[in-house]
Amino acid sequence: MTKAPALLPEGLRDRLPQQAEAASRVTRALVDAMRAHGYGRVAPPLAEFRETLGGDDERATRDLLRFTDPVSQRTLALRPDITRQVGRIATSLLAKAPRPLRLCYAGQVVKLRASQLRPAREMLQVGAELIGSDSVAAAREIVTVAIDALEAAGIGPVTIDFTLPDVVDLLANGPLPVEVDIQQLRDELDAKDAGALTRIGAAAYLPLLRATGPFDQAIADLRAFDTAGVLAARIDALEAIAAPIRDRVTLTLDPTERHGFAYQSWFGFQIFVPGQGDAVGRGGGYAIPVGEDQEESAVGFSLYPDPLIDAGLGAEDDAERRIFLPLGHDPALAASLRADDWQTVAALCDADDAKALGCGWRLGADGPVEA
Amino acid sequence: MPEPIIFAIPKGRILDEALPLLARVGIEPAADFFDKKSRALVFGTNQPHISLIRVRAFDVATFVAHGAAQLGIVGSDVVDEFDYSELYAPVDLGIGHCRLSLAGPEGSAPPGLGESHIRVATKYPATTRRWFAGQGIQAECIKLNGAMEIAPKLGLASHIVDLVSTGRTLVENALAEQKIISEVSARLIVNRAAFKLRSAEVPALVEQFRQAVGDAAA
Repeated sequence: MTKAPALLPEGLRDRLPQQAEAASRVTRALVDAMRAHGYGRVAPPLAEFRETLGGDDERATRDLLRFTDPVSQRTLALRPDITRQVGRIATSLLAKAPRPLRLCYAGQVVKLRASQLRPAREMLQVGAELIGSDSVAAAREIVTVAIDALEAAGIGPVTIDFTLPDVVDLLANGPLPVEVDIQQLRDELDAKDAGALTRIGAAAYLPLLRATGPFDQAIADLRAFDTAGVLAARIDALEAIAAPIRDRVTLTLDPTERHGFAYQSWFGFQIFVPGQGDAVGRGGGYAIPVGEDQEESAVGFSLYPDPLIDAGLGAEDDAERRIFLPLGHDPALAASLRADDWQTVAALCDADDAKALGCGWRLGADGPVEA
Repeated sequence: MPEPIIFAIPKGRILDEALPLLARVGIEPAADFFDKKSRALVFGTNQPHISLIRVRAFDVATFVAHGAAQLGIVGSDVVDEFDYSELYAPVDLGIGHCRLSLAGPEGSAPPGLGESHIRVATKYPATTRRWFAGQGIQAECIKLNGAMEIAPKLGLASHIVDLVSTGRTLVENALAEQKIISEVSARLIVNRAAFKLRSAEVPALVEQFRQAVGDAAA
């Protein structure tokens, strides 16, 4: 009886040579583009104490893949997100480093549960964080770095969707108070559930559902809606961030979007690419807790390029640069081929076949000939 | 021609009321959509880039959440049950009104705070569990796809949670409506990524529906 092939746990998988190579090419291109803007790469560990990964947030802690460390007998968790680790580095090892501090990273993260749209529980996260400021200038820089990185990796055409994470607070604590819990109001606005908004007595917020879509129109709608002027500073800031990138990407605005923006302070954005049902990245301004009662502001973004790599991003035809070396070939010549960026596949016995081993070329008496 | 748009429509109760709404936004299904004998699942419309698919109500939400269809029409009961993060429900279409209710044998008392556990037959296990959890009661749900009403009689469960419009089916099965869990109406649903990526067409279509509903109400 033959044994059934071993299964991997749900949501985890192997990457074979073509895909593994594509993933590292994409990572390289993204990280190089960030480094070109002065972002230094850091590499935090795969696992940490639960507290430093989950912070005080109960929901974040619950979504960690945890286990007990036999050494410290404390609970460890696999990292579900590198941003938080970079925040920890910035406020500990690099607490004394001059601000603004520019850091970038690339690595695997693991989620306890997959999302409805993405069955993967392990994924590649690549991103950059600008620590010490969440000003308009900082936001402008981080959006530009994100677009440069996407371009360098050949990702596009890109749609950037802006959001204003504190818009509901500004309105509810100002001109448009509501009876219900503000969190419920946020949830209904996030789901764009017009019926529910009316039901919870927040019909005054309905125009916000219309102030979404193409950037200029949505900004105009938002301005018209904001008769009290509490959003004026936010709207001006968004226009300033949008100005330098208008011609490079499609811009949209969705002021009440909350998906994945639990930590953002005043500004956030998501990156969409055609053919992908979920955002391929997101970013924005946020605060890193420092000690008991202080925080440091930051802006940053993260990209999750796996679905794009699965769709062929970064793939190259290896056979084109793969050359078969028959028995008795000249080792010096083979070494010079490798120095020339060829991948050499040496025969171990007479039966080895160039085509079967994925080689588009073979080394003949006078040099490479097509296999 | 613009990129194709797939519009998911549920079979059954909402369909008849949805067609006039679609007509008001200028979408008219091709003739074979009305042909009862047709086995086709995808139908053209008078607008060459818009196609309709006719699927079960629960599947409307699934198709749209995964972006296989960009828009759809479905009851708020289904939207609440799935709680898909990728769905927007921007327009209450004001059709397909009914309610999601808890029902039990005629003359029996509704489950009260004294009970910590209850067994319910329903097509809506997530909504049911959530609602009972809000009352401090652990609900054990038995998922049925139809004919809930016979479950209490046959001892499968003490109560049912199901859609009620006239209440006639309940009465005929010696059941009484005990609590309304939610008022249901049909919603226009939109895939989140489609709403952002196709910002030139999809939000405009949503706006057309909003106006069509406004006109109908006026």
